[in-house]
Amino acid sequence: MSECACALKCFRVNLVTLVVVRCIMATLVRISSICHKGVKPLFLRSSLLLRPVVAQKKVQDHVPLLTADIHASPSHYAVAGSKAASRHWTGERLLSVMLLGMLPTAYMFPGPIMDYSLAAALTLHGHWGLGQVVTDYVHGDFKVKVASGGLLALSAVTFAGLCYFNYHDVGICKAVAMLWSM
Amino acid sequence: MALLLRSLARQGLSVTRAQSCVPYRHVVPMGTSAKEEMNRFWAKNTSLNRPVSPHVTIYRWSIPMMMSISHRGTGIALSTGVSLFAVGALVLPGDYAHCLELIQSLSLGTPIITGAKFVLAFPFAYHTFNGIRHLLWDVGKGFKIPEVYRSGYAVLLLSLLSSAALAAL
Repeated sequence: MSECACALKCFRVNLVTLVVVRCIMATLVRISSICHKGVKPLFLRSSLLLRPVVAQKKVQDHVPLLTADIHASPSHYAVAGSKAASRHWTGERLLSVMLLGMLPTAYMFPGPIMDYSLAAALTLHGHWGLGQVVTDYVHGDFKVKVASGGLLALSAVTFAGLCYFNYHDVGICKAVAMLWSM
Repeated sequence: MALLLRSLARQGLSVTRAQSCVPYRHVVPMGTSAKEEMNRFWAKNTSLNRPVSPHVTIYRWSIPMMMSISHRGTGIALSTGVSLFAVGALVLPGDYAHCLELIQSLSLGTPIITGAKFVLAFPFAYHTFNGIRHLLWDVGKGFKIPEVYRSGYAVLLLSLLSSAALAAL
């Protein structure tokens, strides 16, 4: 009789301890998922909370799983991969600022220098902008290649046409002035 | 029980480590780039012929959303215009003055000419002003939601006013 009571008491104590420990674990999980910026702790979700009590072994399984989806911050490892994309982004913004500056300059100082500068900046800005559109909406190696090739051809022809216009005709600045005087 | 406490202790120790809160000694850098992952995603899902969940067709449109796609739309339109102009310069007979004379001979009248100038100026003005808004975001300014709306309204107002002013010239 007393053995039963003893066993029951033991069981209850264990149960309470396990629940308490589970709560602490859950809190730690929460803290670690908030702490680390930029990491998506895919497996550190509340599913751990919903897990049945006998789950000690699962914690062990999750630790290596954690590693699979984390991108380590470069300060702790040598930088893998090129900086090309990042530099392209910066180049796009610099070009945008330059083009912005060219607008009042072309108005104040029209002439061949501004004509050719505008031709170059306009075509490149458009080429890079349409490139982003292709990246966003075109998927699949072959389709991307075709679209990029077509875009390059278009940009090349555009630049050629603008240069031809600047050389053989009135030039971009004068053309805008003439159009607006209609 | 001991197993649980040990694993708990390990996690607890990792949490108090200096840099990050993740059990850091287990972390390894990934072998794929973002571009590779994106390509893999599309390759897998198109080959499995999976349908795309509705997104723009069901989500409520907001002013920032509309302005964002308009920025792209005006950009594409302006690029197309520039390209058409360039191709025309290469292909069409006669010079620029000749083309303008042709338009002049149509005797369209001032309201239509002014209207046409507005239609040309507006996408240009909108793309320029919204472009400045984008550049401000790129240096980290104006991300709070009220600021996004305020700058958006400012862009729309400036675009309308400047297009009207240019059309009147």
